[in-house]
Formats: sequence, structure tokens, C-alpha cells
Amino acid sequence: MTDHARINEEELLVTAVVGDVTSPSMGSNPYEVGADGVPALPIGVGGISYNVRVGMSALGWAGDQVEPGVSLANPVAAANEALNIFACVGNRAIVRTGDAAGSEGVVVGKHETFMASKHVLVHLDAGPLEQVVPGDSFVVRAHGRGMQVQGLPQVACHSLSPDLWNAWAPEIRDGRLALRVTRVLPPEVVGMGSGRVSATTSVALQTEGDGESLAGLRLGDLVAIRDWDATYYTGFREGALTVGVVACGDSPVLGNGPGVTLLTSAPDGRLIPEVDADANIASMLALR
Amino acid sequence: MSHPTHSGTYAVDDYGRPMMLPGMSGVVANVRVGDPVFRWAADHLEPAVSAGCADRGRHQALQFLACVGNPVRVVSGPAKGTAGTVVGKHAFVLVDFATDVLDVLAPGDRLLVRAHGQGLRLLDFPEIVTRSCSPVLVEALQLRANGEGRLRVEVAAEIPASLMGAGLGMSSEWANCDVMFTHRDTIERHGVEDLRLGDVVAMHDQDHRFGRGFKPGVSAIGVVAHGGHGAIPGHGTGVVTIMSGPAERFELVRATSANLSDYLKL
Repeated sequence: MTDHARINEEELLVTAVVGDVTSPSMGSNPYEVGADGVPALPIGVGGISYNVRVGMSALGWAGDQVEPGVSLANPVAAANEALNIFACVGNRAIVRTGDAAGSEGVVVGKHETFMASKHVLVHLDAGPLEQVVPGDSFVVRAHGRGMQVQGLPQVACHSLSPDLWNAWAPEIRDGRLALRVTRVLPPEVVGMGSGRVSATTSVALQTEGDGESLAGLRLGDLVAIRDWDATYYTGFREGALTVGVVACGDSPVLGNGPGVTLLTSAPDGRLIPEVDADANIASMLALR
Repeated sequence: MSHPTHSGTYAVDDYGRPMMLPGMSGVVANVRVGDPVFRWAADHLEPAVSAGCADRGRHQALQFLACVGNPVRVVSGPAKGTAGTVVGKHAFVLVDFATDVLDVLAPGDRLLVRAHGQGLRLLDFPEIVTRSCSPVLVEALQLRANGEGRLRVEVAAEIPASLMGAGLGMSSEWANCDVMFTHRDTIERHGVEDLRLGDVVAMHDQDHRFGRGFKPGVSAIGVVAHGGHGAIPGHGTGVVTIMSGPAERFELVRATSANLSDYLKL
């Protein structure tokens, strides 16, 4: 028996959280070391990526975890935590200052780097993307935190907005939630990000291990990870399933790779992945 | 020697329960290497003494330069002059002392680490790198070429890649990598109920040469550095990397006695 799954949308708050367009930040020695001991200069985290957009390949960029579009953070650490906890994929993000003021974008991911940054990633159309500069302020209309799936209290929802939920249109099938994803990955693919707070974070898919399992991966792809739980923190759990959205590009660094922003998880087989090569948020949310 | 700190908020354990437990930083007077990993009501249990530095740059230097097996001397406080040994790394450098010394040591006491080992190479095994592994430890582990071009290493347990958690993606020399023994079911399924702090273990399909990550055909050898059973999902039992290289270059020999307490006579 199949039914459209319902959420508690009428209970969810809509709040304003603010982030500024970041600028890349580096130490005085720019080199990191790639998997085979080859030095690499990382580019792609922070600021604006003009030519990398959600829907494009997540692999093959000459960078390290490139963040598509506009990368936001709040300069006050605790406010940045709130921005990163409350912002959900699919939320509206409106430019408040600068030449693009009034333009509207969409939150397409969140990306955490080790002891360094937590960024909210926003897609803007090409016109306003040319106009925004680091320092411009955005307000995110945060909407989604507290989401629950009716009849399935075991399912945890994290950075998932009602807008994305409605576009995704998961179905209840025999008491379980069927979700369209582009692929199902094994647990050993998860690298950095294990043990992080599920509400805020991204986890890295390791590209070094088995390149095949990530072949063709795109920014914005919805992906499932089996035997992986993200109810509160992210970690191994046999039988669990976690679904997220690919938020940033791959990495030359061991244990790193494309970052996945966590959307939903259940520890007990209540989520069923349905493989659909087109399950990408760029088309679901009509992002160009 | 560091002092414990706390955010005042609860973490959540792998059973979904709010958790507020000791274990990290300062002195744990009643747990040393050689003791069981899972007996304790603790989170990220750092046995014996945790050494750090208030200045972040100096702390990083301590983290990167200290190696397992290095000698440590107390240079202030009532235990001044007593000797300890680096036995692991986590957020801090973990130092073992005799039990009667642990009863006297307190946060704030100054420790001197004679850092010796980063840069070490195994001349007969150029494909195997060592990380945070002192010359004393190399000697104590009684590493031998087995006659078939492989390095013979005794290990108390073998860990599959699917259980490797927090610590992946970080530098090989920095802190450690958690094995996700966070739930009783996982511990029992892998038969590691008797795992001990200080055990030498092999991590399969783990490349820990230049950072830490999943790579089929590459192995890492490490030492169990921190334990406790009240664990946050994705974290668990910390293993500090001491060697990594192609799997076929190692001959792993299972031995429950493969523990630092025996090797270093602690």
C-alpha cells in the first residue's frame, strides 16, 4: 500500500538567520598533502564559485571540496552554529545588502571542514551571482528544523526543508518511507565527519577507496548510505540508512571527498532507498 | 598536565541516551594501559595522564612530535623527578605513570617529553611508513622480517574499514582514529569484549601514510589509546597510528599479549 508521506508542516517555525558571503581563508603554508604524498594547494572552500553550480559533477575539479555558488557564514561563532543548525536545504536565502540586494537564492547544502569552517551554501541565478561580493549579507528563512514524518517517529529529519520534502515527495510503502536517491553507498565510504552532530554537518565520501562507487556523482545528488545512522550523531549502525545531498566537490586528501549534508536517517530499516538517476535537487527545485 | 573542561551540556550516546561522563583530560588515577577498554563508565577515556599545552601552537607541536614510547619526566609539583612514558595520543598526549605516582600528580604539573621518532624509517621496509613510533617502540615490538619480505607484527585484534570513524581525514600523526565500538552489539559481534588499552591492532583497508582514509589493500597498525563504553555514535575506541603500508608487506600474528604494558614493561 502506497501513500504520500505527510510531515508536521503546520508545527514548524519560520525564522530568520543571517550569514555573510565568506572569503577564502588560508594559513601561511598553503600546501596540504594528497593521498599519495603529493602536495596540493586547496582551492574551493569559502567565497564565491562562479563556474561551479549544483547539478554539475562533484568530481574532477582542480580543488578541494569546492563549494558551489555562494558560501555563507555568520562572523559570530555561536550565531554561525545557529545558522548552520537551522538552515535547511531548500530554504529561501535573500540578499540584504550590496548590488544584488533583494535577489533570492536557495540553500543547497551545508559544509563543515575539520576545526575550520561551517558554511551554508546558496545557489543564486547567474545574474545576481555576478553582483554579490564577500561581505554581502543574506537572510535565510530557516524552515524545517523539528520536522517529523507522520506515523514514523523513528525517522530523524535534519537539514530538510518542507519545500524540498514536497518536491521529493517521499511515499509511505508498507509502513516504511520510500525515498528517491541516485545511489546507495556502503558504510566504509564515509570518511571525515563520522561522529559529528547530524543537525549541522556534512560527512565526506572517500574517493580514494573505490572510485567506482562514486562515478558520475553530481553536486545536488541525493544519496543513501547503508549501515549508517545519523539520528543524533553520525556513525556506523548495522541496518540503519542515512540519506543526504551532495553539497561540495571531491578532495585529494585521504579520508576526504565530496561532502554530504544530512537530510534524514532511521536506525531500523524504516527508510527504503529507491534508485533514480535523476534524484538531484537542481531539477527538483528547478535551479538553473 | 591538562585539566578537564566541560560545556555543561549533555552528549547523546549510541543508545540515544543523554550522557555526561568523565574520561578526557587531567588524571585518571585508576586506569592504565593493560586495563580493559570497555569496563568503564567513561567517554573517550584517556588512561593515566593527559598532557597538553595552553598555547595552541605549542600544543600542536607536542601533538605532532611526541611518539609512542617516548620518556616523560615530571618537572614540577610533588611528583617532580618521576618518570613516565608516552602511550598514546588523543586530544592530548597520553602518558603512563606508575600507580603511586598517579596518586600524587595533578593538573598543572609540568611534564617534559623527550620527543624522538618522527622521521623514523624502516630501512628494510621502505614501503611501510612509521608515524608517532619511537625507536624504543620499534625495538620493543620485536619487529622482524619473516623471510618472505614481510614485516611480522603481533596484533591483539583486527579491525574492518567499516568500523573506522572519527579521525579519518586527519593527519596520520595527529591524535588518533576512532573504531566505532560504541554499541554492545558491535563489540560482541566482533569478539573484542576483552580488548585492552595499549593493545596493538591492525586496521584493514586503511591507508594512514599521508592522512587517514579507506584504501583497499593498504593496512595500518595502531595502538589502542582511549576507551570507555559510554560512546557517542561515530566515535568509540581511539587507535593511534604507528605504521601503515601495503597489506602484503605485513605478516599479522594474532596474540592477546600484544600490548604496550608488556612491550614497554610499564
